[in-house]
Amino acid sequence: MTTIEELGSLKSSVLADIAGAQDTSRLEEIRIAVLGKSGTLTVYLRNMGSVPKEQKAEVGRIVNQAKQEIEGALEAAKAELSARELSARVASDAVDITLPGRSQHIGTRHLINAIIDEISDIFLGLGYSVIEGPEVETDYYNFEALNAPADHPSRSMQDTFYVRDMTGKVSAVRGESDILLRTQTSGVQVHAMEDQPLPIYVVAPGKVYRRDVADASHLPQFHQIEGLVVDEGITFGDLKGTLDFLCKQIFGPDRKTRFRAHYFPFTEPSAEVDVSCGICHGEGCRMCKHTGWLEILGCGMVDPNVLFMSGIDPEVYSGFAFGMGVERIACLKYDVPDLRMLLDGDMRFLSQF
Amino acid sequence: MRLSLNWVSEYVEIPDGLQDLCDRLDLTGTGVEGVETLGEALEGVVVGHVLTCEEHPDSDHMHVVTVDVGEAEPVQIVCGAPNIAAGIKVPVAKVGAVLPSEDGGFKIKKSKLRGVVSCGMCCSKRELGRGTDHDGIWVLPEDAPVGVAMSEYLDEGDTVLDLEITPNRPDCLSVTGLARELGAMYLTDVSDPLPEAAARLEQLVDGVPASEDVTVTIADEDRCVRYNARVVEGVKVGPSPAWLAERVTAAGARSINNIVDVTNYILFLYGQPLHAFDYDRLKGADGKVDVIIRPAKDGEAFTTLDGQPRELTQDMTVIATPERAVALAGVMGGLDSEVEDDTTCVLLETATFSRAHTSRTSRNLGLISEASLRYERGVDAAPIDEISKAAAALMAEVSGGHVRPGCVEVCLDVPEGRDLDLRIGRFNAMMGSDIPASFMEDVLTRLGCTVQLDGDADVLHVRTPTFRPDLEREIDLYEEVLRLWGMDRIAPTLPASPARVGMRTDAQAVRRTVDATLRACGLSETMTYSFADPEDMVRLRMDEVAPGEAVELLNPMNADHAIMRRSIFPGLLRSVARNQAHGVQNVQLYEIGTVFSTAPERTKPKEVAKVAAVMVGAMGPESWNASRIPFDFFDAKGVCEALTHELACAKMRFKPLEADEAPYVQPGRAARIFSGGIELGWVAELHPLAVEAFDVTGPVAAFELDMAALLKVTRPARDYVGIPSFPAVEVDQAFVVSEDVTHEKMEQVMGSAGGKLLESAALFDVYRDDERVGAGKKSMAYRLIYRASDRTLTTDEVERAHAKLLKKVEAATGAETRS
Repeated sequence: MTTIEELGSLKSSVLADIAGAQDTSRLEEIRIAVLGKSGTLTVYLRNMGSVPKEQKAEVGRIVNQAKQEIEGALEAAKAELSARELSARVASDAVDITLPGRSQHIGTRHLINAIIDEISDIFLGLGYSVIEGPEVETDYYNFEALNAPADHPSRSMQDTFYVRDMTGKVSAVRGESDILLRTQTSGVQVHAMEDQPLPIYVVAPGKVYRRDVADASHLPQFHQIEGLVVDEGITFGDLKGTLDFLCKQIFGPDRKTRFRAHYFPFTEPSAEVDVSCGICHGEGCRMCKHTGWLEILGCGMVDPNVLFMSGIDPEVYSGFAFGMGVERIACLKYDVPDLRMLLDGDMRFLSQF
Repeated sequence: MRLSLNWVSEYVEIPDGLQDLCDRLDLTGTGVEGVETLGEALEGVVVGHVLTCEEHPDSDHMHVVTVDVGEAEPVQIVCGAPNIAAGIKVPVAKVGAVLPSEDGGFKIKKSKLRGVVSCGMCCSKRELGRGTDHDGIWVLPEDAPVGVAMSEYLDEGDTVLDLEITPNRPDCLSVTGLARELGAMYLTDVSDPLPEAAARLEQLVDGVPASEDVTVTIADEDRCVRYNARVVEGVKVGPSPAWLAERVTAAGARSINNIVDVTNYILFLYGQPLHAFDYDRLKGADGKVDVIIRPAKDGEAFTTLDGQPRELTQDMTVIATPERAVALAGVMGGLDSEVEDDTTCVLLETATFSRAHTSRTSRNLGLISEASLRYERGVDAAPIDEISKAAAALMAEVSGGHVRPGCVEVCLDVPEGRDLDLRIGRFNAMMGSDIPASFMEDVLTRLGCTVQLDGDADVLHVRTPTFRPDLEREIDLYEEVLRLWGMDRIAPTLPASPARVGMRTDAQAVRRTVDATLRACGLSETMTYSFADPEDMVRLRMDEVAPGEAVELLNPMNADHAIMRRSIFPGLLRSVARNQAHGVQNVQLYEIGTVFSTAPERTKPKEVAKVAAVMVGAMGPESWNASRIPFDFFDAKGVCEALTHELACAKMRFKPLEADEAPYVQPGRAARIFSGGIELGWVAELHPLAVEAFDVTGPVAAFELDMAALLKVTRPARDYVGIPSFPAVEVDQAFVVSEDVTHEKMEQVMGSAGGKLLESAALFDVYRDDERVGAGKKSMAYRLIYRASDRTLTTDEVERAHAKLLKKVEAATGAETRS
């Protein structure tokens, strides 16, 4: 057999092998056997030197042609086989996608702080700063500087926890003291008026304490957010607009607010604010005790005495203040059935929010 | 304050519409807390006419009667009252009626009494809640119409509002005060009953002047500014007339007798507390009555008329005779001078006592009365004599007595109104309103002010009434005008300030980062009580190392909340126990909160903000694709290390926390945490005994960090570190070292030995095996990464660097190397 004939039969047997290959690894074996270092075709290429001169051009052409054809065939077969193999692998890799994912445990924010965050963010957006203060206060910052001096009847509105005064001072009323657990965060606002430059736009969230027996709707420790604005030209209308905006942000744009005149020593005129009931939309239901309204916060124009005591001229500046109970909002917005759950640390409760 | 609409309607006309009335009261500052319709309680009770009355065949005291109740057939009733008789008119509770009773209601049913059927009940006054008279059946006048409902017959279709009166409005603690308020609310006229009521006294005066036998002395003018005594003689104590009993009952008092009811009637009508003494029990040996208003003596014993013995203090005020105290001024009378059934002469006290002393007395004794409630808010001293006259006259009228001429009064000070200017323009500017001056003038006048408009000056000159001590300043008038104009009529706006920015403080920013990081690490935020059990720190084994002294509450709610917490952990451990008790095994909790401590001579306690965390169980339940890895020390440590990155602080260093420093942690699994030389707190597994003391199944991995320290070490931003562009060479290297060689030591030695080319050394295995590694030894395997920032390292370079590292590690730690 001539070299040319040999090449012809090699080519056709290789092409037949390629056509018969069942997978890409068989193709690779063929490629190595034919085109590898000592492959059957490579041998011819390597031995071109021994081919007679006159045949060289012809044999060279045929060898190259055979190589190209084989390579082409390998490539085509590989493309087809690897596509087939891929789809077979994909098919066998399929999983039950309804199996649970690999769990990533993420902790949760406590509901009360989540609400404080939400409200603080609303006021940051309105250009207020967030301020904080101590939980144990003196009588002055909790009551007196807020226009509720000793023996003021408003004091009996809030049953106060008193703390032993380590200096040994004794109060005029048995069992009371000059040092107490704050019953409101208003003291923080007094500190702000004393210390901060005007104008003042602040909200003060924090823990407060009142002597209530813990039950489904009361806790002896709870949270308030109070706000204070002192600036020139602040009006009662500004107070209304601000709180109306707040209530719509918290409860939704379709909710209405209502201002009822009230009394607080810290403000004058004072009001309580109701938001329309989200369940009955004002028609009256069990949630709102058939009034159509839910009491949500207390507010008013800062009493001039309070401004004056903090060294601010009430003839030049006016302001408003407001305060709301965070637990109350938790109840209204999330329907928490028992406030004590907020202090239990039960994972089944905490992880819901 | 309970307000009878029938009663107040005598003085002011209330337009129809109960709902509108309640809404208006609510909106103008008088909260309506309840609405009660009287007469409802008497449903099913009608006027009956006793037709026949026979003795019960089987009883020696009961009767069988037939009663016409206005229905087709008379009903048969068995009645046990002695005064039942044929022909009289009586209230009859028909079958199905519900009578008022102490425990809610008593339903009348058809029954058999000793074999005789009884279809209803003939009622006494007491059974109908209309008095204390229980001697027999309530015999109604002959003209009582048969079959008519008792509530209708008694004209009791009354509605009583339960009103929340704010502490600034003593005037509203009276029917006349509320009538005035309603007049201002509806802009309608109001009549004042006092002048006419006082004028009636003239007809009832008799005997020798009171001043012949009575003296009044105010020993301390701080305690009482005005004291008026009148003497009503010849009284016969007995039941009140129906109208009087009805009024005081509607106002929420019990009808007691005609004398006491008059004092309550006047109290509710005018807001002036009165006290009726039995005159004869005040008399001295000379037959005269010397009334002294004086401070009580410290330790003075006194029994109030509720029968309670009280120990008084010097801050309290008593009404006394020269011999003894007879009343606790402004709060409650004394047991041994009260009016009793045999009283024939009454000394009537009408006075104004100090607000502050009354308030403190009431709080100190835990004794709140209708009188103290009014005195601590302020009782107007101006109309005292008029009210005394009206009260004495009424008392004489209802008891058949007469009033001795004149009164004995000490009056140190009569209040006057204040002159205030209301600047109309300023008012409207501050309210954001446009309320006309004419409205302001009208409404303030109706509230009892004298108002003069000065149009040129745009000012209202206002003189306030003496019964409004709360109207002290211009702003107080603003409130009156605004609330009665209606706050809902003010347009909402937002402050127009050009100069404000909202910011969080650095501490708040750090707290947010800590919160977010801990949550991302799988911990849930919780809150626990700030109150603590004094034994908590002992249980936690922390008492001896806790800073400062506990902050003690003077009036805790209960013994296990008697002090303020010095650590957050007792609260967290209780939560863990609660979870475990409910079958929740994986508990990952943290709280950022305040702990409190104090020291001798300190006024305010020290408050320190801490973040405390506990990790119990595992991060998640065992799952088809994840195994459950129980929490240990390193989980808590890992969370702390995550904070390093988020707060951009210097690398945390951990030093062993020794047993004597912290008995609450498990020795050998506890570390103090430092960053940049500042101590941040600790991380540990809690001591098994501490865990057990809180009924928790451990181990409990925990950490506590100081928020102020975290703020100190936090940097505002992280520095950029170049990303390497040349390839690295990784070498895995195991060292067999003795147990006391720490990872930190290995890191330090490798760090200095590896020079510039060693980029990192990451521990990937720790292996112990007595045979293969040796007892007391461990194999620590590190992946070392060599890299140069400016070139590709050659094999030779890496080999040289690594050989040098091995030599130095061996020298410094005694390590044997294994590759």
